[in-house]
Amino acid sequence: MSGLIDKFDTWMAENFCGEFESLRGRATPGDEDIMPELRFAWERKMGEAGWVGVGWPKEHGGKGASLEELVAFNEVYARHGGPGRNGHIGETLFAPTLIAYGTDAQKAKYLPGIKNGTELWCQGYSEPNAGSDLSNIKTKARLDGDEWVVDGQKIWTSLAMDADYVFVIARAEEGTVGRHGLVFLLMKLDQAGIDIRPIKQISETAEFNEVFFDSARCHKDDMIGGVGDGWKIAMALLGFERGASTLGQQMTFTNEFESIVKLAKENGAAHDPTIRQRIAKAYCGLKVMRMTALRTLEAAHHGELSREGYMSKIYWATWHRDLGELAMDVMGPDAELLKDGEYGMLHKLFLFSRSDTIYGGTNQIQRNIIAERALGMPKEPRGKPK
Amino acid sequence: MAYPFTEDHDMIREAVRGWAQAWYDGGKGPERVYQSGTGFDLEAWQALSGELGMAGVAIKEEYGGAGLGDLGRVVVMEELGASLCSVPFQMAGGICTDILQKLGTASGKSMYLPRIASGQICPTYVEGLDAFSIKESSLSGVVSMNAYGNAASHFLISFQRDKKVSLGVVMAANPNIEVEQQKTLDPTRSLAKITFNNLSLDDVKVIGTTDRGRLQDIVDQSFIALAAECVGGAQKCLDITLEYAGQREQFDRPIASFQAYKHRCADMFIALEEARSATYAAAIARPDDKTEAALIAKVVAADAYFKIAGDAIQLHGGIGFTWEYPLHFFFKRARANRSIFGSTSRGYNKIADRIFGNAA
Repeated sequence: MSGLIDKFDTWMAENFCGEFESLRGRATPGDEDIMPELRFAWERKMGEAGWVGVGWPKEHGGKGASLEELVAFNEVYARHGGPGRNGHIGETLFAPTLIAYGTDAQKAKYLPGIKNGTELWCQGYSEPNAGSDLSNIKTKARLDGDEWVVDGQKIWTSLAMDADYVFVIARAEEGTVGRHGLVFLLMKLDQAGIDIRPIKQISETAEFNEVFFDSARCHKDDMIGGVGDGWKIAMALLGFERGASTLGQQMTFTNEFESIVKLAKENGAAHDPTIRQRIAKAYCGLKVMRMTALRTLEAAHHGELSREGYMSKIYWATWHRDLGELAMDVMGPDAELLKDGEYGMLHKLFLFSRSDTIYGGTNQIQRNIIAERALGMPKEPRGKPK
Repeated sequence: MAYPFTEDHDMIREAVRGWAQAWYDGGKGPERVYQSGTGFDLEAWQALSGELGMAGVAIKEEYGGAGLGDLGRVVVMEELGASLCSVPFQMAGGICTDILQKLGTASGKSMYLPRIASGQICPTYVEGLDAFSIKESSLSGVVSMNAYGNAASHFLISFQRDKKVSLGVVMAANPNIEVEQQKTLDPTRSLAKITFNNLSLDDVKVIGTTDRGRLQDIVDQSFIALAAECVGGAQKCLDITLEYAGQREQFDRPIASFQAYKHRCADMFIALEEARSATYAAAIARPDDKTEAALIAKVVAADAYFKIAGDAIQLHGGIGFTWEYPLHFFFKRARANRSIFGSTSRGYNKIADRIFGNAA
């Protein structure tokens, strides 16, 4: 493997220690609202050392790492027990979209903050009435001189409470419906017109939020693409979500899996034949996800959207939810007791993973997408827009 | 050309696909094998190994093969699986090739590999580590469920002698060997009971010695070909179902437009691509990871094929239940692939053993 990965390996060994020790294996889904200050510091440390955006092209401040290097990079990070990254939305979703569709000025304005680990992003897509039917966006944007003025509400906005910016899809053209007339805006969260309210979830934690826009503003240059391009940009971003970001997720999954194996060895569940079979199946799933991601990313590298890419969301979500159930069964009756008076890591995994098969397109929507796009089956009949 | 394949792989895929589809001929291919009662198609094997030259797809070029490795074999097996073409490829061009190439002596390799590659001989592998007993210098024992044993010109046998595992080749026509074809649930794959009755070791050409662990690794790694057959068959079942769903109308709509139907097809697709990823991952795995990856490919692909073949019958309604419609052949092959070379639950156990080490 390349010198880049060896360097990163050494850097992790030398830097992921001391005060950061308490983040080892933490901040995974369901645990993402812990120790925000320390995690900002960690993101900045990664950024300062040049380890954010290693997969971006060199001309945009990245290291132009190959796919194999990115895979190895994430595996090294996992092996060192690196925590969930609060910069991942900016790094793996927003930045590739900005590089593909943004102007030079927009890139110059926003990429450095992501790369340095100083500016965090969140995703303003879902609304109370635009969930599975995502194009039913009601949040409005109107031009007022040099500024866009935004009114409406987003919901299920991951990590908004920690973020500096949000990218928002909003309806700019009065009277349009569905995918038409939308804009993709970049907005600072710290302003009078934006109110963020965390949503307490079944995991007792709150990484999802409601974000209210009441005459919130951004400059008219803070729009990617033109008026009417919002849907196209939003979908391109989801394409990146299907690809590269699954590599980072792989590391979390591997660590969670290994902690379950460790527990099974300690408490004797490893002797239970059905538990053993389920753990073996979960392990197979891990390997399948790795190869599916490689196949999808290799195709994307050659500018193709591969059919198997359509299955990655439902596959990992279902796998992860099953892992949460397995974790409880490995714990056995002890799962009912909260040892430290609060949910442990495996409780959080079990509870939070119920959201995996809902957010980012429910399993039911994913099956529609697979049937229609990967298999070419007839489209769902739609009601008339109100 | 799609990752992880190269243009060479695409070329052989095209050649084998065209040939295998012609053989399949609307479901008559497997039916012909069934009618023949032999469990395999000798003419098809002669064509595949002779004219198409595919028996040696994974044999190194210096021995007259194409040198395309596990991935090349995956391509051939996918296409054979899609057509249910029953030939002893995975024995001669699969496991026997691997044992010779990875464990064979120089003379063993040069004696047999070129003849396998050219289709001149067709060995199957007979594992006799526990089944054979050796008295003085003659070998006896019975092995059941030997895949394509009735198609073999030679047997590549393993046996335990003086604390060593020996590998040898013997002519199938030896008077001390009796081959009896077994009746099978899957009529398109031959299984045979082979009885070795005081076979003289002078008749066995020793081609290598090894140890149990190393041999088991090679045997396990040969599962990649079986996994690929599952992928090919599963893809075909999904294709047949999608075609039917687009044509068949109920309630004045194609049944493909019903969400209950679409979601079941989506689940079939997920299982199929899961099997494909596991299989391709094993084919490109590094030597140290290959045994584990092959075990995973085998169980994942066999599970997927069985699910998909069963779903295909369900989604066809009554017609899927008829003998005339080809789905039952796929369903039976899928069932057979769950148990051949070790059952699925045993496979998961082996994977669990690796995960837990000596913990259990």
